[in-house]
Amino acid sequence: MRLEEKLPEQLQDALNKGLLDRLPITFLPFTREQLRNWDHLFPYERRSILHLFLYLASLSEGQFTALFREVVQLEEKMGVRSWQFSTNQQTIQNASLLARSPYYQDWRRAVQKVFDTADQYAEREKPGNAGGNRLILLVLPQRLPLDRSKVWQRWQGVGRPVQLDLASFSENRSPAEAILSLASVGDGRRLIDVMSSRSNASTADTWILDAGKNLVDCALKQAPSGTSASPAMLLSYERLATFRDHFSHEINTIRKDLADADTVYERLRNTDVTSWCPPEVAAEPVIREFLRSLYLSGNGALIFGNSFVEWCASEAFRRARPSCLVAQFGVRSKPKPFTSVVVFENPDQVNPLPAVDDLPGSALDAQLLALYVWLAASRYDEYRRNTVCLCMAESLSEVYVIAPPEFALGHQAKPVPLELLRTAVIQWLANAA
Amino acid sequence: MKSTADFVSRLVSGGSAAATDKSRREFLRAAAAVLVGLNLPQTSLAGGGQHGAGGSGQRVVVVVFGGARRAETFSPEGLENIPHLSRDLLPKALFYSNARNEGVTAHFNAISSILTGNWQRVDDWGKVAPTTPTLFEHFRKRLGAAQSDTWVVASNKALTSMIGASSASDYGPAYGANVVFPKQLMVAAVANALRSGRSRNMADRATVESELESMLEAGNYEGLGWTVSDMADRLDPRVRDTIEQAIGNFVRGGGPTSGDELTFLVSREVLRKFSPRLLVVIFSDVEVAHFGSYALHVGGIRTGDRLAYQLWQEIEANSEYKGKTTMVILPEFGRDPDGSTTNGFFNHRGDTESTRSTWMMTLGAAVDKPQIIERPIRHVDLCPTLASLLGCPPMDSQGARLTELRV
Repeated sequence: MRLEEKLPEQLQDALNKGLLDRLPITFLPFTREQLRNWDHLFPYERRSILHLFLYLASLSEGQFTALFREVVQLEEKMGVRSWQFSTNQQTIQNASLLARSPYYQDWRRAVQKVFDTADQYAEREKPGNAGGNRLILLVLPQRLPLDRSKVWQRWQGVGRPVQLDLASFSENRSPAEAILSLASVGDGRRLIDVMSSRSNASTADTWILDAGKNLVDCALKQAPSGTSASPAMLLSYERLATFRDHFSHEINTIRKDLADADTVYERLRNTDVTSWCPPEVAAEPVIREFLRSLYLSGNGALIFGNSFVEWCASEAFRRARPSCLVAQFGVRSKPKPFTSVVVFENPDQVNPLPAVDDLPGSALDAQLLALYVWLAASRYDEYRRNTVCLCMAESLSEVYVIAPPEFALGHQAKPVPLELLRTAVIQWLANAA
Repeated sequence: MKSTADFVSRLVSGGSAAATDKSRREFLRAAAAVLVGLNLPQTSLAGGGQHGAGGSGQRVVVVVFGGARRAETFSPEGLENIPHLSRDLLPKALFYSNARNEGVTAHFNAISSILTGNWQRVDDWGKVAPTTPTLFEHFRKRLGAAQSDTWVVASNKALTSMIGASSASDYGPAYGANVVFPKQLMVAAVANALRSGRSRNMADRATVESELESMLEAGNYEGLGWTVSDMADRLDPRVRDTIEQAIGNFVRGGGPTSGDELTFLVSREVLRKFSPRLLVVIFSDVEVAHFGSYALHVGGIRTGDRLAYQLWQEIEANSEYKGKTTMVILPEFGRDPDGSTTNGFFNHRGDTESTRSTWMMTLGAAVDKPQIIERPIRHVDLCPTLASLLGCPPMDSQGARLTELRV
């Protein structure tokens, strides 16, 4: 099967005209990977690569040369042609060679300029207010001890804390689960139902990320019976334990060598991971591949649940631009004596001492990482308008609200009952659908 | 805003006023004011400070910290993480508030740039030696110092024994330093116990000690990345005794058990047993940041703060070192800023002030009077300065000697 067979016609046309052959060397690994993995790209990524290629195909020879002039000149200065540089895929060796070059930062800036120019073109093609209203719900669960006087300090006044009235909330579930679930009042719709009823809805538009598993379990219970399709992208750190164990085992075979790391990474890219996945991941090739690349990119996703949630969310924003993302943080254990030096191993396998929860440490981690999730979203235009970000501190009965003026609860002075918050969220997502 | 005097007194006492003032300039001005008039007693330059055979008689200890941002260290908000550096040592120090890493902000290249005085751009995983001579080689070749006079004791897994000597012609391993990685010993012991199905006992201190001893006994020092004297498959008995002593203190001491603790204990034993003239200690507990735990990262900073202070106390208490030693403490680089595309404090890849601009503290014999120097200096400036301090002739460096230090 030819590489480009499954690609959209316009993209295939551009490739048939030799577009790939005209790109600078350092653009090839990324571009080829995107084309090769087309089946596993999110709709947003597909649109982006399509726009990039259509833009490039629309350029005259002179414009094309001008666009890439700086990158090509820098590649020559860097001597890229003399490197062992993979033009087929992004490797650790590639990254290392680029990062060591004295021209690396100039190269990064030049590459960014190319993408910025292409983005401006894509912007003109985009319909206004694409995607409707958006929601980011961050959850610092009940178990995390928080200091009311400091908890929002790092947010530097970008939003405001609103007290929650949980007095009438006595259900056997967490406030975050209640927000995801059926309401006893109002139109009773669930958040996931609202999202799936939006025009042009796709599974990749709603993400639920959980350092534990109760939120994902709750969402799974809401899936229509008899279907294997997930109602959203559901990723629970706890439910992924088997995946992690297998993956870490492979990673730990890497010797201290860039080439060896690339060999192991290549093996992990090609391993069939389906049997390592919980059903909601096994059934969705796109999320399965997302997970694989997430774990390959590090950032603690294999080690700590809170890092997993934060990095998942950042990558989801970058790659899928979801309209609704719910991220719940959790509790990690304290490092164990002696064996904690080998943090990449499963500490419970290595050391028989019982795991002890690090509640204050987890709380500090979660507070900063919740902010990082918001900052990651803020990098993209899509989240600068029509986005409500709620960070719920369950142990304080408080929610930090960053919202446009039209969001119903943005100006509440009195404590807000949870049901009212849930309704406001549902309405926010439903109204502009 | 609090008055400067109030701010200064609280800065020195670690009070909360420091945490409320976000102006870095204000912070520096206040810290500088603390030091005004605090001239230190003149320390004797043993050996008379003359250059030539045998050098100046001065000794140098360099403590490198891993990647730590100014925000978590020398900033009003960060002071609580470095009580020893800010309260116990700053009042005695010549403090460079803007020490810049302008090279590759990865571990091997950052440290080899500090140790060679030239920005290195070699393999990040330590497969290739620095391309220009290290301070160890320069010192040993020019002044005939013994290998036991130059040591690197490091926690960082990204380093290899290549850090101890360059690939420069006429230099190289024959003039290199002893290099030991105590944490690698620990990692290897755990991995070995895992492989052999003995890991369930790794909570027991006696078992841990015996696993560590077996690793020492196994003789695979190259596998651990060590270079010590002319070792083949056995360590020199003095070195072995040194390491065993440190392991005993580590395991039986009942204290914390991180990689940096073991690195500190080995460094202290090296000071006591070998009295090297040039010792470089590289801590890396802070690098847990790569896994995304901010609390553990800050914990690593606090550990580094405490261990650096304990090392200074050791120097002050050791007659071989007291009064003739300069200690330098600096991070390899900062870390990326919150909100960066490189995931903030997790990494150190950005071309930002947060990543490149850190600080450097110098203590001891080369410090005439405590002061804060705000002019930017570069990491490559340290090596030619230390070379002069040790009595070496000038070396070929991209850096410039730091004139504020007495050499």
